[in-house]
Amino acid sequence: MNSLALLAAEGEVASATGITAYAWLLVLLPLAGAGLLLLGGKATNAWGHLLATALSWASFVVGLLVLLAMVGRGHEERAAHVGGWNFIPAGQFQLETGLLVDQLSIAFVLLITFVGSLIHVYSIGYMAHDPNRRKFFAYLNLFVASMLLLVLADSYLLLFVGWEGVGLASYLLIGFWNHNPAYATAANKAFFVNRVGDVGMSIAIMLMFATFGSVDFATVHAGAAEAGSTTMTVLGLLLLVGACAKSAQFPLQSWLGDAMAGPTPVSALIHAATMVTAGVYLVVRSHSIFDAAPNAQLAVAIVGAITLLYGAIVGCAKDDIKKALAASTMSQIGYMMLAAGLGPVGYAFAIFHLITHGFFKAGMFLGAGSVMHGMKDRVDMRGFGGLSGFMKITWVTFGLGWLAILGVPPFSGFWSKDKIIEAAFIGEGWRPWVFGGIAMIGAGITAFYMSRLFFMTFHGKKRWVDEHEDAERGVHPHESPLTMTVPMMVLAVGSGLLGLVLSWGGMFTHWLEPVVGAHGEEHPVLAVPVIMALTLLLVAGGAAYAWMLYWRDEVAVVAPRGSLVTQAARADLYQDAINEGLFMRPGTHLTRALVFTDGKGVDGVAGSLAAMIGGASSRLRRVQTGYARSYALTMLTGVVAVLGALWVMN
Amino acid sequence: MTSGGEAILFWVLAPMAVAGSLGLVFARKAVHAALGMALTMIVLGVFYLAQGADFLGVIQIFVYTGAVMMLFLFVVMLVGVDSSDSIVETLKGQRAATVVLSLGLGVLLAGALGRVTIGDAPADKVHALNAQNGNVSGVAELIFGRYVWVFEATSALLITAALAAMVLAHRERLGSRPSQRAWSERRIRSGENLAGLPVPGVYARHNAVDTPALLPDGSPSELSVSRVLTARDQVGNATPWVEAEREIERDVSQDRDRDDAAKEDRA
Amino acid sequence: MTAALTALPTAFEAVKVDYAAVGPMLVVVAAALIGVLVEAFAPRLLRHTIQVVLTLTALVVAFVVLVLVSVDHHGVTVGGSIVIDGPALFMQGSLLIFAVLGILTMSERFGGRSADAFTPMGAATPGSPAEAAADRAGYATSEAFPLTMFAVFGMLMFVSANDLITMFVALEVLSLPLYVLTGLARRRRLLSQEASLKYFLLGAFSSAFFLFGAALLYGYAGSSDLSKIASAITTANGDLEGLLLPGVVLTLVGLLFKIGAVPFHSWTPDAYQGAPSPVTGFMAAATKLAAFGAILRLAYVGLEASRLEWRLGVAAIAVLTMVVGAVLSVTQTDIKRLLAYSSVAHAGFILVGVLAFDRTGVSGVMFYLVAYGLATIAAFAIVALVRSGGSEATHLSQWAGLGRKHPVLAGIFALLLLAFAGIPLTSGFTAKFAAFAPAIAHGGLAGVVMVVVGVLASAVTAFVYFRLIVLMYFTEPTGDDVAALTPSIASTIAITVGALGTVILGIVPGPILDLAGRVSQFIQ
Repeated sequence: MNSLALLAAEGEVASATGITAYAWLLVLLPLAGAGLLLLGGKATNAWGHLLATALSWASFVVGLLVLLAMVGRGHEERAAHVGGWNFIPAGQFQLETGLLVDQLSIAFVLLITFVGSLIHVYSIGYMAHDPNRRKFFAYLNLFVASMLLLVLADSYLLLFVGWEGVGLASYLLIGFWNHNPAYATAANKAFFVNRVGDVGMSIAIMLMFATFGSVDFATVHAGAAEAGSTTMTVLGLLLLVGACAKSAQFPLQSWLGDAMAGPTPVSALIHAATMVTAGVYLVVRSHSIFDAAPNAQLAVAIVGAITLLYGAIVGCAKDDIKKALAASTMSQIGYMMLAAGLGPVGYAFAIFHLITHGFFKAGMFLGAGSVMHGMKDRVDMRGFGGLSGFMKITWVTFGLGWLAILGVPPFSGFWSKDKIIEAAFIGEGWRPWVFGGIAMIGAGITAFYMSRLFFMTFHGKKRWVDEHEDAERGVHPHESPLTMTVPMMVLAVGSGLLGLVLSWGGMFTHWLEPVVGAHGEEHPVLAVPVIMALTLLLVAGGAAYAWMLYWRDEVAVVAPRGSLVTQAARADLYQDAINEGLFMRPGTHLTRALVFTDGKGVDGVAGSLAAMIGGASSRLRRVQTGYARSYALTMLTGVVAVLGALWVMN
Repeated sequence: MTSGGEAILFWVLAPMAVAGSLGLVFARKAVHAALGMALTMIVLGVFYLAQGADFLGVIQIFVYTGAVMMLFLFVVMLVGVDSSDSIVETLKGQRAATVVLSLGLGVLLAGALGRVTIGDAPADKVHALNAQNGNVSGVAELIFGRYVWVFEATSALLITAALAAMVLAHRERLGSRPSQRAWSERRIRSGENLAGLPVPGVYARHNAVDTPALLPDGSPSELSVSRVLTARDQVGNATPWVEAEREIERDVSQDRDRDDAAKEDRA
Repeated sequence: MTAALTALPTAFEAVKVDYAAVGPMLVVVAAALIGVLVEAFAPRLLRHTIQVVLTLTALVVAFVVLVLVSVDHHGVTVGGSIVIDGPALFMQGSLLIFAVLGILTMSERFGGRSADAFTPMGAATPGSPAEAAADRAGYATSEAFPLTMFAVFGMLMFVSANDLITMFVALEVLSLPLYVLTGLARRRRLLSQEASLKYFLLGAFSSAFFLFGAALLYGYAGSSDLSKIASAITTANGDLEGLLLPGVVLTLVGLLFKIGAVPFHSWTPDAYQGAPSPVTGFMAAATKLAAFGAILRLAYVGLEASRLEWRLGVAAIAVLTMVVGAVLSVTQTDIKRLLAYSSVAHAGFILVGVLAFDRTGVSGVMFYLVAYGLATIAAFAIVALVRSGGSEATHLSQWAGLGRKHPVLAGIFALLLLAFAGIPLTSGFTAKFAAFAPAIAHGGLAGVVMVVVGVLASAVTAFVYFRLIVLMYFTEPTGDDVAALTPSIASTIAITVGALGTVILGIVPGPILDLAGRVSQFIQ
């Protein structure tokens, strides 16, 4: 049953040797940290955060060693399989699980452990005064461990375990400051939307098991080409549902904005750099399924395109610095999804952009955290302005991230995003024009809203009151401590240079080739220099427009009413209203209409579907009258119904 | 097919069985319901006998009608024959739904079972076996042979029932029963009913514990009748006896008046 | 008529009893009988101790007999009433383990003189002076232990019944003590008595259906032996076909009632809420296992040949059960009712595995039952510990902030909830996988549909469980009078075994799955 072992015997995926055999340490180290901190209780209060940080770095070091060992091997022998653990050995269900260390997973491992460790360091400063610091670090460690398990898994089942783990850690961290009911609601919303995704994933896993008899990557990939195309399409769409929920893609995007309720390092690590990109990872990892199901692949691209525009438009109107960044994250992941939906031409670029985005977006989130730190935890950018003089390091590091996301050469974003735009223009018929056009317009809008964010925060006139003038409402902007600024600097260096380094001679795409497959030389429908020039022109235009509105002109402290589009964007393009209109209202009305007496409707159940279930539940509850005779009647109904139905059928 | 005599027996008795069971369900008084059930049981016993299942038929009548139903009747009588259930249905649509669904089940079962024809073979077999071993020993063979495990296991059921009855209904006396002396001491200490509770009313024409005594102002004393009777709503009413007494008194006094008048006349 | 009737020997011949095979049942019923005598003759103050020691010893002995002796005595015995085969042994063993855990939780005294869960005197009016006096005098309903043993005996018989008559008697033997135990709660006795009465009335109603169905099947096949019914169905009995469908449906209704399948579930929340918590835990775990054992045997041995006729009906019931159980658990405010609806939903999940009609389905279902049972007994044992003002704090709002006051207890409860939700690395996930995978592989389109509904329903229930976890850990406590009592060693063992089982079956389910897989073949 265990085809991975089988393949290993044939020499395709070798069993791990040397340091690679210890790859499980990657997961176990942070997991041990989480366990120690949670079980150790108050005894670990004093040094728990240092231990967690150290273990995270240790995991990074192991990852680095594994990478070195991998580089030492030949191009085709780099993937390695680490010892199976026979999860369910009985009879027909053979479920053996292990770790798959290949080029794709090691790229993720390094991103997760490196950015994760930096954010651990940052949090030492950021959470210094929080009474629950120990728990925070335990959850962070738990997250790192789960995320590593997710990317290192050799089967969909183990991936699902990690998938649930990151969901749990994210849920715990969003609601970390749960004394605020709004935050708890945000956590519930995130949880609920993610359950929708989990349903997709669970069914997909069951379906894989039924189709291939196993759920490890090797068997599924080997069988994908032969299996029926309908099955593959269904499978692809189910995986897409899972990916959409995890990566906040349309139409399951609603939770990400609210998730910003969590502490800022969490937003940087989980909701920008790593967890939200798990959906992209899933699609790329399942590339053989999507390659066998063109319709599902098209769906991925469409979802990506819609989300990249959606996030960009919403980002233009948000005044909350973290929510604006969240919208931007959504939009950038839309780019990755689009790339992943383009097929073999896009996989490598999707992952490439994912890595560079991980750096510059995490850097910007940390920068936002640093701003908030200096501004008494305020998030409204209309109350910022002219901070560049007060927080020099934050300004410079954020600025590098800004240049990177704009795609200004030679910063990171240019190398990855431009490639996606180019890839989007490859193809036949309407697709290259639509996808390419959307990607290019998206770049322009991105330039506008990111510049808006940058200028509103760091430039223009100051729109805040100094502490000396008003002790109550005043603020005293200051630079953050070193534990916070050093990680920002490191990430800023990454934002600046990583793209250039990794794309030197197509290094990264070449590196990933054995995993995602090579593709022939294909040419975009427009010449590459034309695309590049157009994109840069749009970016420059967007940035200039933002400069006019938000640096040169006065920015109102209170948001103006704005046009209809602005208002719509501010309200997340009415996503909650639509959700409510589509699900919640009918649910409530259904309840009201069905209930004889005035139904109370639905009480604080988060999420729209939940409301519908809640409504159905309170309606159904009335059947449970408490009278034995009415119970007996229910039974009789059942007997008559079953007997009658079967009688008619036979 | 069944013989003519058996057919007549069936068509006469079957409606009675059905009527009896309907009576069990619909009778308002518990006694009537119990009698209805007894009727059904007897008829079933007769059917068994007619089918050649002698032992079963006799046992059916002995055990169900003779023992179980009579025990039922005793209990019902003891609890109070007059108590009847409330027939007010508070659940909306419950009755209508019950009727519809019961009819539905009936129609479905009748539809399914009505298509079935069972020949003479089973009955012939029973008669053959009866001739061979005798009905009683045949049943005994089965009970103590093939089905001995089930038969023995049923005892667990009976023990459980006995244990359950003890647990749920047997109330042990806590402490000793108060003596006569204790009672009177308690009465004296509390200063109430020093001479004991009043006895029930005893009237010239009537002597019964269920009729309350009358207080000096003519109102009945609830203390004078047993609480059990009150609870069962079986307390008699003193009014007729009081009125009857008044009438006698009036008659007597009228007579006396008349006598007096006569005397005066004579005088 | 029956084959037995036609072939009567002239002289009476006693049936052969394979005492080794039925040994565990005999031990249990003997202990129950001795328990009754103890009630009659032992001094009042010693009864509790004697009963607990007696029942536990008997259960352990029965288990040892089962494992060491009965395993080698497969086959039909006692004239065809009892069959001992792989599934029967597996489920009997699980039942004995559940019974040990159940007795351990029932024996909890919290330092008092009698079992804390049971009323001192069942006959005293609730809240009356007599009740208080009985409590002061140290009275106790230690009859609960022999009653439990009778129930266990019925369950052991239920999973190994080879004909419909034995099955019916076993059904009654297991039900009757449970009706009584349900009504014996020490606190909120009116609720308890009401629950008991409802359970009894509806149980009698369902028994009537079962009996009617069994009679029709007997009429159809001329025998109540499951294997003979199966062969009668295979050969088709032209004139009598009309008896088959109602017979099958009505028999199944009786069994589906016991597992709490919708629409025969309405007793579940009331009975679970009213019964003393340890009894609820035992009832939920053991009754469900026994009833599923009977359903498996009936479906796989007796009715398999005709399954296509009734399969869709049961599939519809499974879907309905999952949906209604999950949806209704959303609005529950009482922890016991919540767990009751969760048990309804779980019954639906297990039914999905039953309908796979494959050996793997049998082993998946058996594994699920063990995993669910262990978690349930522990969960209800914990419910019994959380108190407010002397009585159980069952309202959800009272559980707010429990994680801060009792981190270990709340942690274990959270683990059990995660298992109910089917989160990976707990027994719940493995169990769902083991039950659902065969349904997809062998259940055809209906199987796939059921699994999809099952996954959706478990997503809904997961929401409920997570909300409870959030409530325990992230919500400020409402009142300060809610506290968990310190369990005695007995309850502690039961809770620990339940929690450990949940973890072990989640991480290394191999051995048990393997065992369940090896013993999943019914003797036809």
